[in-house]
Amino acid sequence: MANIKEIKTRIESVRSTKQITNAMKMVAAANLRKAQDRIIKARPYADHINTMLRSIKFKNATNLHSLIADVEEVGKSAVIVVTSDRGLCGSFNYQILKEALRYIKQNPDAEIICLGKKGFDYLKKRTDKIIKSYVNLFNEMNFSVSRDVAAQIIDLFLEQNYNKIDVLYNEFKSAIQQNIVVKQLLPIIPSESEEMSTLDYLYEPDEDTIIDELGKKYINVDIWRIMLESSAAEQGARMTAMDSATDNAAELIDTLTLKYNRARQAAITKEIIEIASGAEAIQQ
Amino acid sequence: MSKISLEVIQPTKCKVNDDYDHVIIPGVDGDFGISENHTPFITKIRPGILQLFLGNKLDKYAIHDGFVTVDNNQVTIVCDVIEQENEINLKRAESSKERAEKRLKTISGEIDFRRAEHALKRSLVRLGLGKN
Repeated sequence: MANIKEIKTRIESVRSTKQITNAMKMVAAANLRKAQDRIIKARPYADHINTMLRSIKFKNATNLHSLIADVEEVGKSAVIVVTSDRGLCGSFNYQILKEALRYIKQNPDAEIICLGKKGFDYLKKRTDKIIKSYVNLFNEMNFSVSRDVAAQIIDLFLEQNYNKIDVLYNEFKSAIQQNIVVKQLLPIIPSESEEMSTLDYLYEPDEDTIIDELGKKYINVDIWRIMLESSAAEQGARMTAMDSATDNAAELIDTLTLKYNRARQAAITKEIIEIASGAEAIQQ
Repeated sequence: MSKISLEVIQPTKCKVNDDYDHVIIPGVDGDFGISENHTPFITKIRPGILQLFLGNKLDKYAIHDGFVTVDNNQVTIVCDVIEQENEINLKRAESSKERAEKRLKTISGEIDFRRAEHALKRSLVRLGLGKN
């Protein structure tokens, strides 16, 4: 009889797990939609700043500001590793951390900045190069949070004389697919755009001031975009992971129910046999 | 009369996207007006009031930082924060003004000083526009 009871408890616990994973799936789907929406809304801002920066760089190609100068091979570098704050999102964090370890192996001197709790928890046991970490920032994600992060990263870049800062993050491809991206954050490389303005602008106050401010804005929006991408990818990964967890739970419930019914039937059969053979013994 | 088309882009949304006769923008080197066929121009914005004229209508916005590009009668403003009169929280502006004033008296570091100064300017712009 104990066996039947055990199976029953097990079914109950799997059922409640299934409810939780299902709810998490729904929440992730809703958050994903929100994050995607934000990515689209951030696009015009980023595009415009990029165009402005390009037009200035184009004009002022000889005397470049340190934020957009070309990379020299010597000097310190740093890498920003973007992970999630929470788990239960499949291989999302594992993939990015695997890539991070590879990066560290290739650039043993690179210092590390962690964005996201999972990456910090994982990397702090494996390396002592972490110089800064930001945890629990994806819960309350808004532009002012990313602006603070960006401002601190720019300060670091200028104070520590890094020759470059790379960033490692998950790019949102679709709900079931994330791409790992390694790209250079600083110095800025304005991306090629189709509509290249050839107009000779008048700058006020002067080009250097504009570049300085514009470069900072560019980093702001780049960090914001990276955080949005990463969080959309995270929600996508969580949605898929929770979807398959729900499926697995349903499957497990089916198997367990079958087992339970068999055990119940066996118990009943056994009892009937006992009664029947008892009755037979009395008749004889 | 031909018009200039104005677009205000923020990281989280596009706020204004309309045609106007004339706009006045607070630039770092002073307020400047833009009418049609203005020369191509890029400048930084200082905390101030953005005025948009259309016919005999005037829209006012509090704006705190960002950039303006003028290009072929297309004016594009990229900024982090912009507020219309009715969106301003006067109480918050008042308290941040007091806070900034207090900080300006006590702090010594240059960066902190500039930050507080900027906060004070922002709150003054908000109050100036909100109380009208």
